[in-house]
Amino acid sequence: MHPATPPTAGMPAVPVHRTPVPRRRLFRGLIAAAVALPLAFGTAACGDDESSSDPNAPVTIEFFWWGGESRAKATEEALKLYTSKHPNVTITPTWQAFDGYYDKLATISAGGNAPDIFQIDDNNLTDYASRRVTLDLTDLVKDGKIDLSKHHAELTKYGQVDGKQVAIASGENTPAIVYDKTKLAELGVSEPQEGWSYQQYFDWAAQVTQKGGGKYWGTMDISSDYKALWLWLRTQGKEFYNGKQLGFTEADLVTWFKLWQEARTKGATPPADIVHEAVTGSVSTQLVVTGKAAVSFMWSNQLSELQKATKNELAMLPYPGDVKGQWPRASLYWAGSRTTEHPEVVADIINFLVNDPEAAKILGTDRGLPANLDVRETLEADISDNSMKATFAFENGLASKFGAAPPVPPKGHNGLRNKLRDIAESVTYGKATPEAAAKQFFAEASAALA
Amino acid sequence: MALTTAHQSAGAEANSATSGRPARKPRESGRLRRQEGRAGYVFLSPWLLGLMAITAFPMLFSLYLSFTNYDVLASWDQVEWVGLDNYQRMFTEDPSYWHAVRVTLTYALIAVPLKLAAALGVALLLNRERRGVGLFRSLFYLPSLLGGSVALALVWRAMFSGDGAFNDLLSLFGIEGAPWVNDPTWALETLMVLAVWQFGAPMVIFLAGLKQVPTDLYEAAAVDGAGKFRQFWNITLPMLSPVIFFNLVLETINGFQGFTSAFVISNGTGGPVYSTLLYTLHIYNEGFTEFRMGYASALSWVFLIAIGLITVVFFSTGRFWVHYSDGEN
Repeated sequence: MHPATPPTAGMPAVPVHRTPVPRRRLFRGLIAAAVALPLAFGTAACGDDESSSDPNAPVTIEFFWWGGESRAKATEEALKLYTSKHPNVTITPTWQAFDGYYDKLATISAGGNAPDIFQIDDNNLTDYASRRVTLDLTDLVKDGKIDLSKHHAELTKYGQVDGKQVAIASGENTPAIVYDKTKLAELGVSEPQEGWSYQQYFDWAAQVTQKGGGKYWGTMDISSDYKALWLWLRTQGKEFYNGKQLGFTEADLVTWFKLWQEARTKGATPPADIVHEAVTGSVSTQLVVTGKAAVSFMWSNQLSELQKATKNELAMLPYPGDVKGQWPRASLYWAGSRTTEHPEVVADIINFLVNDPEAAKILGTDRGLPANLDVRETLEADISDNSMKATFAFENGLASKFGAAPPVPPKGHNGLRNKLRDIAESVTYGKATPEAAAKQFFAEASAALA
Repeated sequence: MALTTAHQSAGAEANSATSGRPARKPRESGRLRRQEGRAGYVFLSPWLLGLMAITAFPMLFSLYLSFTNYDVLASWDQVEWVGLDNYQRMFTEDPSYWHAVRVTLTYALIAVPLKLAAALGVALLLNRERRGVGLFRSLFYLPSLLGGSVALALVWRAMFSGDGAFNDLLSLFGIEGAPWVNDPTWALETLMVLAVWQFGAPMVIFLAGLKQVPTDLYEAAAVDGAGKFRQFWNITLPMLSPVIFFNLVLETINGFQGFTSAFVISNGTGGPVYSTLLYTLHIYNEGFTEFRMGYASALSWVFLIAIGLITVVFFSTGRFWVHYSDGEN
């Protein structure tokens, strides 16, 4: 440690002119500050050097995620459990709603200040990993700092980019349709069935609209969503991506747009403006909870959050089409920052969150089923919440039918899926034909993926 | 700048000489002037440093970035010089660019004149001395206090959605409204209404301008038998033309820079169907959503030049219609 420098020590005598005393004092203060500041930084730097060798030295970890109130409560509680076991670690949790999360993450990452640990989804993973924002966890996994031996192999694989483990699945979840059981019973329409083709599904939805009496529609129009398109392609043995290129043709996209065009003519879907509102809205403004449509297209882990927004009973099914299009999917991961000063602590916290049974109990199924299969089993035996039970039942029911997991979407995916959203919308609003829209999408896709 | 400082310090010196401080010899005074000049820069330095660090440097840096493939997240060793690629892409390969240009021009060309007309109209009404006019001035200014705020845009989105308050109001009169912000035909118009509604700032400037018009001109005109309209056309407008010019330039620049309302109301998408894709929103999306910051920088520079050109056009046509009364009398 450097001795504290007394403010006046070693200062040259200031020549005395007519300068009034206070100003001289100020001057001295400034010089003292100029001397003292680098000293202070110097000692801080010394402190850092020591911490990397001493496992009990105090460490501060920034931790960032998006989500709602209940996720925040659970996550903070789980982190507290960790710090109570590791008193030298201080975790600074920051969370916010999904809107604006990536804007913030991008700007702070650009400034080189990415949080030590952050939540990320499969839409953005490659964008961040290929630009080396994320910490390469491969060696930490190899050294057993993060234990993935009990994890679902496909989930582990879905966290790899270019052969490196760049993120750890924080849970398993699957795209799912969520429907309003209560309302369907009221209308006297039977519930939808797993494994229906889109045609069967649309006929059913049109029937709901018919009985709904004008201001209630059968199904959300999800034609602008890459997830739905991807699953639909997979049921036909195709993929959304083939490496860094699109894995389907313009003709496929035309067929997809026309499929939904048909649904619109049948009256299965609400008008474009209501669809647009839901597409640009949040979880709590989805049509199934705002009482405008019987079905919304969501994620399986979102059921409990949706259920909180409505009194009607909700239920869940896979997307229409053959279930083999689905795969055990991690839509959310934990990732570390490449610029972190404490990669081992980062690894240890992630390891705790995904493998500790107590942590799993606190976190529940909010980010999906635990990726660790042992932990998953323990949790399942333990839960009482009905929506969580439904999430479990849903994923378990799919487990034997899952297809193989594709690679994580490539760099540029996030921009491309926005293009699909905008271009598909021009069809929904009747501003473009399916053919013209598909053509435009393919014209823009190559630039987006470059 | 240096000239002004020197001039002012000389003036200060003259003042101090008259106020009884001992007069200095010329040589000494030259040294003093230099010293005070230096002192002037020292006092300016917080602002000057701010300008350099916060405005000038980032601007020039973005000019450099516009010739690179900088993508926000990548480290510097991944940044490559790409020459004019970004500029070429803008004009040849980016269909959204032309959407953005069209939307922004429509927005500015309609919203700015309407806003100025509303500001001038209300200023004329509020220029009369009546009881309670102060209250009305404050009330009309109120919307502008809220500025380009996110809260206001959120309110707008809720009010002008399909089942929003505005359509409830219309239904009282048996009119079935459109889904406004969710309708590609009306979304941009809804944003324009928001912009026009916030006419407070130009209104206050118009009011100040109206106060400057000498009343004897109106009296003389009234004696000559000029009606209210003639007085407005031949006295108010010409006397107000410098203020109109000022407001026009400022509001046009403001109009082109509209961002918050479009960003919030369309949730960053610029939708429905590109209808609210303002140029600034396109820049934002390219830079921060799609990580093409080099391209976004190029977009910004073209935008800056375009706004600059429009301002130049205003200034060069201004001498044909802007009437500066002082100097002629």
